[in-house]
Amino acid sequence: MLILDQPEAPSPATATSAGEASPPATQKVEGRDRETVRLKREYEAEVENKVASDYSHIVWAYGIIWALFAIYGVLLWRRSSAQQTDLDELGNQLDKRG
Amino acid sequence: MRLWRQTWLLARNDLRQEARQLELVMTAGFFTLVMVVLFAVAFFSLDDDAQAKAVPGMLWLGVAFVGALTLTRVFGREREANTFNALLAAPVDRLAIYLSKLVVTVLVLALCSALMVPGLGSVFPAAGIFDADPVALVSLVLLGCIGYAAVGTLFAAGLASAAGKNVLLSVILYPLTTPVLLFALVATQRLLEGHAELWSVLAQMLALDVALVGVGAWLFESVLVGAGPRANPARSPRVSS
Amino acid sequence: MKYVPHALLALSAVLFPYCVQRVFLATPIESQMGTAQKIFYFHVPLAWICMLFAVVCGIAAGVQLRRRSDRAEALALAAGEMTVLAGLGVLITGPIWGDATWGTPWTGDARQTSTALLWLVFVAYLLVRTYGPANAERLAAALAIFGAINVPIIYYAVKIWKTTHPQTGVVGSLPQDMWNTLWVCLLALLSLAIALVWIRAGQARLAIALDRAWIDAEPEPAPA
Repeated sequence: MLILDQPEAPSPATATSAGEASPPATQKVEGRDRETVRLKREYEAEVENKVASDYSHIVWAYGIIWALFAIYGVLLWRRSSAQQTDLDELGNQLDKRG
Repeated sequence: MRLWRQTWLLARNDLRQEARQLELVMTAGFFTLVMVVLFAVAFFSLDDDAQAKAVPGMLWLGVAFVGALTLTRVFGREREANTFNALLAAPVDRLAIYLSKLVVTVLVLALCSALMVPGLGSVFPAAGIFDADPVALVSLVLLGCIGYAAVGTLFAAGLASAAGKNVLLSVILYPLTTPVLLFALVATQRLLEGHAELWSVLAQMLALDVALVGVGAWLFESVLVGAGPRANPARSPRVSS
Repeated sequence: MKYVPHALLALSAVLFPYCVQRVFLATPIESQMGTAQKIFYFHVPLAWICMLFAVVCGIAAGVQLRRRSDRAEALALAAGEMTVLAGLGVLITGPIWGDATWGTPWTGDARQTSTALLWLVFVAYLLVRTYGPANAERLAAALAIFGAINVPIIYYAVKIWKTTHPQTGVVGSLPQDMWNTLWVCLLALLSLAIALVWIRAGQARLAIALDRAWIDAEPEPAPA
């Protein structure tokens, strides 16, 4: 998850003097100007796209590997049952001949 | 030594036969020219730099194709006249058969290369073939042809000893000859670029050729066991193995 | 001994979910390539398996030729099929990874090309066995031997060519937890591959024996 750190609010170091009754200084806001926000949204979109693309590639890659081995397994299974049938047939023939 | 004498006799026999009608040389040579023209047409629009880079590939693709054609013909001829079985039944060391066919194939390939190299050099002058060191060029081409023929002769003979099914030769030949072709390609590139380490690649090619001829000779007997007039019957084709 | 393949299959069945969990949940994301690098955890073991069984096939083919052994022939056939299967996996996942990371499925670099060529040799091996003329088993064995010899030769060709493939050292320079995940995935895939080869070799031996048995069982031809 992308976590954008909020720009750190400047610590209230203004309240140093114990007895001073000056009003708390307004916090300076950084990183909210239009340009920075636009850039940040651009990066976010780029990352979003890359993650989505990577994800689909990964899914395809793993899926294909799985499919290949599954197909091979099925072929082995079919051959195994065909051989079993053949073996039984041979057995029957030999039994018939006595 | 008996082996060399037998090889020489068999090779001389093949070459004499060839000299009568020059069938193989003519068809292979013509095919080489056709290929040069085809390459010229296909890659004409490349700019000079790209041409120089593409020429080594063209050369060795050409050798590969001519080689397949030659091998098919060399053994096809034997099979048609049924002389291959006679050859196998004869009291001749089978290794001599391998070596003699190897020699004939290399000769034909060398002749075709002698056509192809100048041909490519003229069609693609940017590659600078004619500027290259001729000794290196000739040895490079020869080494490549020998390596190619070493592998090809083994498998063409194996396929020739049975009836039909020659389409497999192409299937087998191209993937198997790629090590030789790769080295030859690198060597040609280095030659044309004037790379410093050309001779080390040529030395490696020599070693590879020795290894390939050795392995080919070693396997030739094994591959042809059971071939010839006394061949074993095929296994019954029931459930596929 | 009879239940080894079943045990291996069970092992890999158990390991696979663990593998996937490790790869996706427990291993950090690689800093340069991002999430797509996760394909690597199956791609590399498959490549190793492909090369391993190429060599096994070559050696078995050699034994088959020298000793006329049926068991060796069966093993060679099974190993050849596994080489083709794993090679197909490598050749498909490699470009997928390349496309995700660099945008180019086929970089034309030496290792990718040479794996493709090796794969072609073993496909040719299977084709010769299936469609070859009557006594092509020995020819196919010679093919397999050459194919196995090609493995180091072609691997060496990487060194004399410039290559865009991650250098051989990339595996050596992995951080430890990625390395561990790789080993787990290798174990899972390897046990699956060995189990399949074992089963397939058994089937091939059975087929040869059945052939012979059928021929023997044929009634004697009546005297002319």
